[in-house]
Amino acid sequence: MASELITEDRTRHSAKKSVGIIRHLNLGTAVIVGALLAVTVNRIATKLIIEGDETWRRHDQIVMATMLAWFIGFMIGIGALVGPTRWFFGKDLNHDEAMFLAGKDMGIKRYFRYTTDHKVVGIQYLILTIALFFIGGVLAMLIRTNLGHESGGLIPPQVYNSIVGFHGLIMIIATIIMITGPFGNFILPIMIGARDMAFPRLNALSFWLLISILPILAATIALGGIPMGWSGYNPLADQGPLGVDSYIFTIVIFAISSAVAGANITTTAMKMRARGMNWSRTPLFVFGTVASVALALPAFPVFMLSQVMSAMDRAFGANFFNPEFGGSAWLYENLFWIMGHPEVYVILIPAVVAIMEITPVFARKPLFSFNMAIVGIFGIVGLSIFVWAHHMYISGWAPLLNGPFMLTTELISIPTGLLFLVILGTIWRGSVWTRLPMLSVYALLFNFIIGGVTGIFLSDVPEDAALHGSMFVTAHFHYTLMGAGLTGALGALAYWFPKMTGRMLDEKLGRISFWLVQIGFTVTFFGMFAVGLEGQPRRVEAYDIIFKNGNLISTMGAYTIFIGMLILLAAVITSWRNGEIAGSNPWGAQTLEWMTPTPVPLENFEVLPVVTTNPYQYGIKQETSS
Amino acid sequence: MWLMQMLSETGEDTTKQSGNRVSSFLSRRDVQQAIRAWVFWAVTLGGLGYLFIPHLMADSASKTMDIVKSTFMAFYYTSVPVAAVVLAIATQTVLHNRHTGTAPPPDDNPAIETNQMANIVWVVISSALCVFLLVWGLVVDNVVAEPSRAANATVVNVTGQQWIWTFNYPDAHKDTSELYLPVDQPVIFKVQSKDVTHAFWIVQMGIKINANRGEITETAVTPNKIGVFDVRCAELCGLLHAHMQTRVHVVSKADYEKWLANQGSVEQWPAS
Amino acid sequence: MVPVNKALRTLGVIAIGSLVVSLCVVLAMGVSKPPSILKAIQNGKAQTPEGLLPAAHMEISIWPDSMQGMHGAHGGAHPDFVSYGPTSHFQVPAHSVVTITFKQYDSGEKIWNPYFAKVHGTVDGSMTLDGKKVTGIDPNAVGHTFTVHGMNTGQPDMFLSIPLPPTDEESEPEPNGYAKPHIITATFITGAAGQYIWNCEYPCGDGSYAKFGNAMSTGGYMSGIFDVVDANA
Repeated sequence: MASELITEDRTRHSAKKSVGIIRHLNLGTAVIVGALLAVTVNRIATKLIIEGDETWRRHDQIVMATMLAWFIGFMIGIGALVGPTRWFFGKDLNHDEAMFLAGKDMGIKRYFRYTTDHKVVGIQYLILTIALFFIGGVLAMLIRTNLGHESGGLIPPQVYNSIVGFHGLIMIIATIIMITGPFGNFILPIMIGARDMAFPRLNALSFWLLISILPILAATIALGGIPMGWSGYNPLADQGPLGVDSYIFTIVIFAISSAVAGANITTTAMKMRARGMNWSRTPLFVFGTVASVALALPAFPVFMLSQVMSAMDRAFGANFFNPEFGGSAWLYENLFWIMGHPEVYVILIPAVVAIMEITPVFARKPLFSFNMAIVGIFGIVGLSIFVWAHHMYISGWAPLLNGPFMLTTELISIPTGLLFLVILGTIWRGSVWTRLPMLSVYALLFNFIIGGVTGIFLSDVPEDAALHGSMFVTAHFHYTLMGAGLTGALGALAYWFPKMTGRMLDEKLGRISFWLVQIGFTVTFFGMFAVGLEGQPRRVEAYDIIFKNGNLISTMGAYTIFIGMLILLAAVITSWRNGEIAGSNPWGAQTLEWMTPTPVPLENFEVLPVVTTNPYQYGIKQETSS
Repeated sequence: MWLMQMLSETGEDTTKQSGNRVSSFLSRRDVQQAIRAWVFWAVTLGGLGYLFIPHLMADSASKTMDIVKSTFMAFYYTSVPVAAVVLAIATQTVLHNRHTGTAPPPDDNPAIETNQMANIVWVVISSALCVFLLVWGLVVDNVVAEPSRAANATVVNVTGQQWIWTFNYPDAHKDTSELYLPVDQPVIFKVQSKDVTHAFWIVQMGIKINANRGEITETAVTPNKIGVFDVRCAELCGLLHAHMQTRVHVVSKADYEKWLANQGSVEQWPAS
Repeated sequence: MVPVNKALRTLGVIAIGSLVVSLCVVLAMGVSKPPSILKAIQNGKAQTPEGLLPAAHMEISIWPDSMQGMHGAHGGAHPDFVSYGPTSHFQVPAHSVVTITFKQYDSGEKIWNPYFAKVHGTVDGSMTLDGKKVTGIDPNAVGHTFTVHGMNTGQPDMFLSIPLPPTDEESEPEPNGYAKPHIITATFITGAAGQYIWNCEYPCGDGSYAKFGNAMSTGGYMSGIFDVVDANA
């Protein structure tokens, strides 16, 4: 790596100042304040909101007020408002407080506070992602257990429908944050040679917003579940129980969190790159992460808006989506999918660029066609905004638009093809260093091509008329989001684990897990393709006996995936505690995160690096750096 | 030509004559291996698809479904060579360039940073495939729309409500909970919902359209096979969505007339 | 690191994970206690258009709340939900002639799909309403419907729909406090064994979109299981 080290002149505050209220704020105070405020508001609302003719709206109003109170209380209790309050009075945190917030000398406690150090936030995100995947995985097992039973029907329908909704919602949140959360926060700033994110406090904010959702989500179980599925289609959602209010709050807060994180990551990547790191020397992972969060910036507010409208429908009879009083189900579908299709690329692109970051290291070749990769990424980002209505071919909304949306959808195959070209060009004539991250590269290629091809089938209007709403679609998007997306994230985990924890991820357990997950995955979703082609609808708790074999196969495959994932979890736990100690650069990689010591010191670099080439100089004769 | 230059730069055969570059490229050992892998994958995938997919798909009871099935196969066969390229390169590299051990492999690979020719070929081929898909899609979309333009089409009003389908024959003033259709006669379904959004799907006829409250959506098909087929709801519509199914009986024209004329209760149980 | 230790830990994680899944499956299956089954009482044989068949009968009531049936004296989780009783899981013998007597205690209004104001699937397309033979009721005054149907799967198709008119709210209340019920009887012939579902097609889930939420969308109130079982089972 041809990077130059210079010392940065930094003045340190010598004056000793005390640390104010923030010393006393942590997860515990957040829960207490949140719960107290929630109970208080709940009492007041129950008293104040009079019982009118429409008692059901009253319940929605009370539940929403309570959730809002919890949310505000939690954010106060965690300390999110300390800084903004000081600003309001023309002050700010003093240096000691800023260092306290950054988690200096705090040990394990810093993970339970409003800590601003991007590395702490990254680890927090990693744990949260693993937890969400565990919950989502358990729910997937419930789904498959029900469907593995001869013609289904093991679990009562309203419970089953909510399980499907939860599985979808939790997995969508998990997959959206799975790379930009842990690695976008921990790795990206170091990768570009920065000391922290552009807005460290926003970074903490984005994480603790997500944590504030968890009790709201859990409350759904007591409030009747979310039997309308994660897509929250209206008017079905309007008809649903109080649990739907939880869903609405979850989405709204999640949208705020992702907007905050998106603005932060984008600004960081734009403004805080090391000296000499112009765009052609910036690692591809930075481009991909920025593309992903930047795409989320316009997409999620639309989703948030749709949920605000849905909340108004439920609580106040606003009738945005109620066709009986002039509302429109098509309006909801449009708003949802305007978010919904960009969202799959929000998930997919970071996975693919993580894999692109891994491939040159393990193939020991420069990344093939860096420029084409960028064209591919931004081509996808640009087109993905114009494809949403391919989810609505059969909605009857605007049949005349089916042709144009088929065009834009099929055009996306061109930039997607470029992503394949880049990875294939990199491994061609390269080495194949068969470590865990490289296994993921191959698994992603295999799964992503199947996910892509089946997507092309569905882009065709008459084909979609036959297959829409069937298990074929379910299998297709699992191939893209899980087969490609999650596989990329697991590769990223294996790749960056040594940097984040200081230890290597156990190779043996990792391999056992890898094969179980990938074989189980193929079995599960081939079974699902089969029953989908044969005509089994999605999201059904019981099915025609003719689909029995395919479902049984899927269930067996799903159990295999789950066991494989548990082995990976075991690998993560054992390796984190007492795995083999990793050096600062165990893979011999060239990006900047591998140039700092492990564990990474508080402000990442003793001296900030200067970059003179791109980080893919494998096989290129190096001139001795001065 | 740049492609060949770049690829053969450090290859086993150093170039001889410019006219022979293609053949010299093709005769390189790794290229040969990749080609063999490509043939293997293309034949395997194509063969598996040929053997299994037609049996996996629902039976066809209309020209629309025939088109759906042939489109599926056409797209499948089109994607097989493309997928085979991906798998071939993956296979070749894994089989022949594997490096095991805990130390990184030495950087003795050709430092190919890009290849203009490969980029161009790739984009041109994927664009051509894209145009093919689009043209195919537009053509068949027009063909499956034929029944909706038929002058003599029968109209059936379809009502979805939680969690049951009912059908109304406006010309015959008849209401039923199962569909009866005459064979080889175009039929237009005018679909609506009484409550949430449903999707009206005749599985073996390859048609589907959402049922919305307050809107009438249309789809059309010409059944071409006598038999009993399945209507299923394809949009999650609440508690008993899984059970929102009924039958389509496609009968001969004579039987259909007889059925229409029968003004009494035609749904006597047990049905058989 | 001792490898045995690692293997044990891995097995431990797998065991815990599997345990969590099993626990959740059990919880999900039993989240609402499965309702007790009401079996039709078999008594003798009856002459039908299909010949001499074993006969069976049962009685089902429809209440404007949940205080009478399976949800307990206090009405369970939703005392104000309308409900069928005494349970929501019914069982009738196969290849038999079955008579169900409905006691309808609830009010009602216009039904939006008049198809369900007619009788479907009974022996001659009729039922008796307070002793009179009818083939349907006024679509502008429907209380509930008892509609049995099922999935397309390896069992005979079944479709039965009985409209139940609303009570007269002006009438003298019964000793149990409800309005005087309508008595409806419906007779139908069952085919081979199969599992079906029943639900009400009159929108009576007040307080929700299209009145199909609440009691309508919660199992055990206005919907449930309808089994046709072999007579000796």
